[in-house]
Amino acid sequence: MTNTITTYIEKEILNSPDTQLTDQDDLLGSGLVDSMGLMRIIAFIEEEFGIAVPPTDMVIEHFMNIEAISNYVLKRQTIDG
Amino acid sequence: MYLLPHTILNAANRYPDKEAFRFGDTALTYTELVNQSHQLAHCLLELGVQRGDRIGIYLNRCLETAVAVYGIMSAGAAFVPLDPYAPPARTQFVIQDCGIEHVISNKNQEKNLKKILTQNLDVKSVISPFGVNWGEGFLAFCASLNIRTFTQRNLQELSHTKPDTRTLEDDLAYIMYTSGTTGTPKGIMHTHRSGLAYAKLSADLYDVQPTDRLGNHAALHFDISTMGYFTMPYANGTTVIVPDIHTKLPASMAQLIEKEQLTIWYSVPLALTQLLQSGIVESRDFSAIRWVLYGGEPFPVKHLRALIKAMPNARFSNVYGPAEVNQCTYYNFSKLSEKYTTIPLGKVWGNTEILIHNENDEAVKTNETGELLVRSATQMKGYWGRPDLTEKGFYKRQRIDGCEEIFYRTGDLVKMCEQGNLHFLGRKDRQVKIRGYRVELDEVEAVLIAHEAIGEAAVFALKNEDEAHIKAVVKLKKDIEASTLKSYLSKRLSSYAVPNDIKFVQKIPRTSAEKIDYKILRRDAINRVSTA
Repeated sequence: MTNTITTYIEKEILNSPDTQLTDQDDLLGSGLVDSMGLMRIIAFIEEEFGIAVPPTDMVIEHFMNIEAISNYVLKRQTIDG
Repeated sequence: MYLLPHTILNAANRYPDKEAFRFGDTALTYTELVNQSHQLAHCLLELGVQRGDRIGIYLNRCLETAVAVYGIMSAGAAFVPLDPYAPPARTQFVIQDCGIEHVISNKNQEKNLKKILTQNLDVKSVISPFGVNWGEGFLAFCASLNIRTFTQRNLQELSHTKPDTRTLEDDLAYIMYTSGTTGTPKGIMHTHRSGLAYAKLSADLYDVQPTDRLGNHAALHFDISTMGYFTMPYANGTTVIVPDIHTKLPASMAQLIEKEQLTIWYSVPLALTQLLQSGIVESRDFSAIRWVLYGGEPFPVKHLRALIKAMPNARFSNVYGPAEVNQCTYYNFSKLSEKYTTIPLGKVWGNTEILIHNENDEAVKTNETGELLVRSATQMKGYWGRPDLTEKGFYKRQRIDGCEEIFYRTGDLVKMCEQGNLHFLGRKDRQVKIRGYRVELDEVEAVLIAHEAIGEAAVFALKNEDEAHIKAVVKLKKDIEASTLKSYLSKRLSSYAVPNDIKFVQKIPRTSAEKIDYKILRRDAINRVSTA
């Protein structure tokens, strides 16, 4: 799952193809991902992993880095599933 | 008090240990802000910066922005905010256009700076007001371009004293770049006088007190930020800079408003609409908020009513004014009766005169539509390096010999109603607002047409209830994928100006005068949506 998310962000969200992300890279604070990018990431994980992200879950703790996103998707899958 | 940096000197005298700016867990007191901005000013002066020189600020929302703004102005120079989310080509254009030689930035922007700084630019130094080291790779990169780098370590050795630069209130203080009709951005030149006039008028109108804490949501390159950066220091209050992350995550933003006990909020309507939709507004305590200011575009009344309910202690203000005059009208309210379907622009504020003219530059009567012209103490000096555009943007008259009155032509169509409130009716030209940002549809069109695969292009905006969408229709000369075209556009335009969809057609509808028929385009687009 982590790989899928990393590949998507590297290929579709970041505009420089040579950038390689680690699981802990700060996506939001560093400006790597802008607000449109974040909305696209949310749409992607909803589609790809069959979850729904309610607005109340759209907080920094869930989207700060790839590790956080993966953990959130897992948590959401247990709730929705 | 006649220069913008006088505001922080005055505040530091009265409240030396009061927080001037806060960002997350860090803050600067007025004394610290004065000292650090003076050190930055001395650094710039040692680099040979002269009065009126343009210095870039390439930072996202952070505490360094405050030191940069006041350090640059204390050196007698003008600050130019550069949007770190803009495509590199646009930033390079701005740097070149106003001849920026020094850039204030920080370590977070290293990746972006590497894309922007090239041999072709005259950038001579990059300065980070905080932090002690740039990365090894970045230092090597700058060395290869003969760009000098400075950090807090270098600044700390410099004097805290106020530099004497013989700056006058009518000298340049800052330049804000905005979308231009010709396909290139134009720089709006503001002086210490216009900036300070805004600070005074807004502090008076909203009765800003030293106890006030303002939530600054806008990025520095957006004129809404002048309340946080100018008015609050003038009123000796505190500005809480909302981090970029929070602006993207409304539920986190709601937590921040409560935690920081903000008393004044100022942003585009969209930020507040998203806040409402975060679903946690009811569970948050917003009772400290006494003023909610919004501007940049109209606020959908439906959402406004919901917001009033969520913040019962707050008064609301619809702020209007193009960046050329910052603000010129206000409509303040705390309740909205059922009769409102739109919110008026309201009353003209102090130190400001307006005219409403028809196409022949004659005054129209009450309730008649015309273009709004504004003469104000908060007015810009003109557009950087574009005397032609400045001349076109101004209407001048002499009622008394030797005393010229200069009005800015807003291009906004308005009418004055019997109650003395101004109402907004639309744009004279083809400028639209996307999430509060100004987009010239003609600029988007010009960029599209510049592509070799494109024969003709028409760009128009469709409004649904909440926001405008940019649509493009193109006639190709040779085959190209829509996605290729989109990535071409996103390299040249700000993300909000890139059309949401691009449709390929055989023929673009035109009027009998061979002009693109936007009416037909819009009608067809609406039909497509409704039959989809």
